[in-house]
Amino acid sequence: MSQENILEIRHLSKAFGKHVVLRDIDFTVKPGNVTCIIGASGSGKSTLLRCINLLETPTSGEVLYHGVNIADRKVNAASYRSRVGMVFQNFNLFNNMTVLNNCMVGQIKVLKKDKETARKNAMAYLEKVGMAPYINAKPRQLSGGQKQRVAIARALAMEPEMLLFDEPTSALDPQMVGEVLTVMRTLAQEGLTMIIVTHEMAFARDVSSHVVFMANGVIEEEGEPEQIFGAPENQLTREFLSRFIQG
Amino acid sequence: MSMPEDFLGRIGYLLSEYGPSFLTGAGKTMLIAIVGTLIGCLIGFAVGIIQTIPVGKEDHIGKRVLLGIIKLILNIYVEVFRGTPMMAQAMFIYFGASAVFGFNMSIWFAAFFIVSINTGAYMAETVRGGILSIDPGQTEGAKAIGMTHVQTMINVILPQALRNIMPQIGNNLIINIKDTCVLSVIGVVELFYTTKGVAGALYTYFEAFTIAMVIYFVLTFTCSRILRAWENKLDGPDNYDLATTDTLAHTSGMYSYTAPRKEEE
Ligand SMILES: Nc1ncnc2c1ncn2[C@@H]1O[C@H](COP(=O)(O)OP(=O)(O)OP(=O)(O)O)[C@@H](O)[C@H]1O
Ligand SMILES: [Mg+2]
Repeated sequence: MSQENILEIRHLSKAFGKHVVLRDIDFTVKPGNVTCIIGASGSGKSTLLRCINLLETPTSGEVLYHGVNIADRKVNAASYRSRVGMVFQNFNLFNNMTVLNNCMVGQIKVLKKDKETARKNAMAYLEKVGMAPYINAKPRQLSGGQKQRVAIARALAMEPEMLLFDEPTSALDPQMVGEVLTVMRTLAQEGLTMIIVTHEMAFARDVSSHVVFMANGVIEEEGEPEQIFGAPENQLTREFLSRFIQG
Repeated sequence: MSMPEDFLGRIGYLLSEYGPSFLTGAGKTMLIAIVGTLIGCLIGFAVGIIQTIPVGKEDHIGKRVLLGIIKLILNIYVEVFRGTPMMAQAMFIYFGASAVFGFNMSIWFAAFFIVSINTGAYMAETVRGGILSIDPGQTEGAKAIGMTHVQTMINVILPQALRNIMPQIGNNLIINIKDTCVLSVIGVVELFYTTKGVAGALYTYFEAFTIAMVIYFVLTFTCSRILRAWENKLDGPDNYDLATTDTLAHTSGMYSYTAPRKEEE
């Protein structure tokens, strides 16, 4: 059953106090899919991603991972998170560790791999993102693009089934955006399941298999990239995209 | 040998007669200060960590109530011991324990206990602040790779908090070296008590306390230098070596971009 959904979100809502940020969100992710979530600032994209990774607790609704509702309190959040990685806008590399240790610590402490296996694995992924020469550096000694590539390697070293990206290039200078997007393109080609919140429309159009457009906490439109970018049906989608095409 | 007339001569005389006493006194001062600071740090870390355990609505009610009570007790401990003088605490604990509970503690136990519990109260606040000052992104990064709360604390948060509060630990050690002198009120023969004895016996206050001041200063200054060196060691080198033998090799791997900077800031 390779077409079984990895992730299925049903009627997900999230409120911070009285402020409703997500309303009745529904969507599914199939293995190997690259889902890009686009939408204006404040539309709830980050919150949705954080709910998927349980960094926020959904107010209501279900997040089914292989059919199991992980929003249920009985589910072990830590072991679920070890299978679904996340890459943040601000990298969140561990400041007290070198690049290599950043990529090893999770394998050793969470996956209980031995040091040598963890090191080899970490090196392989650092190689992949082009950061192998920097294994001895501390995060504060790297540029933003380098940090983000290490963060991607750290997530990959856990060999996750799915990877979530929250605006991975928004904190980067324009010349560094390319290096990170290149890595992500490679991952997409290799068939890694990804959910990517991004403002890089050209990237979303090229790479995604599915695009979700959000506005004010609801999914206004979703579909294939050709349809969303080529012939958006929703008025809000059209307005949102026209701003990007002009700018 | 009779007492010389001049200042330096008297100091020399005191040193030759009482040098070993001064050294023993200084040794006791250091022992109490170091052990007290170490145990105090352990107490401080334990209390600070408990005080920063996150509790949310989703937690079990029993856990919330229990934690609430423990946090309240710890808060009282911190406020009481920070808010009263150590000299008064020494009298209260040492003489109070024997008068009220019939518990005659040894003078050494009392000395370690009082300094530790005092340092613990100060360190608890420092540790709490140290933990809270770490960017929440660090916790999220750790959670995102599947670390539990305890793993996150041990591997990510506490090492950074410890580094940040190192100057405070050093401060506490120096304060303790100086403040052990209040333990003389319960009869701990540390450096201050020794000096007072020597000064009183020969009526040489100026000379004896000159010696004591110099010893105190040497002790605190040495400690502060050692701790500073340790801090620098924890920070690691300012530069890192590229892990490649070919220094001209393209360091970015699969794509090209402008040459990487070797160091930042
Ligand atoms: N912890 C929080 N407490 C209260 N409100 C929050 C919290 N986190 C987010 N919000 C609110 O939720 C709304 C959606 O925020 P979110 O960060 O999900 O938007 P976004 O689509 O990711 O925006 P951006 O593109 O700027 O990152 C915002 O109005 C924000 O103020
Ligand atoms: Mg966001």
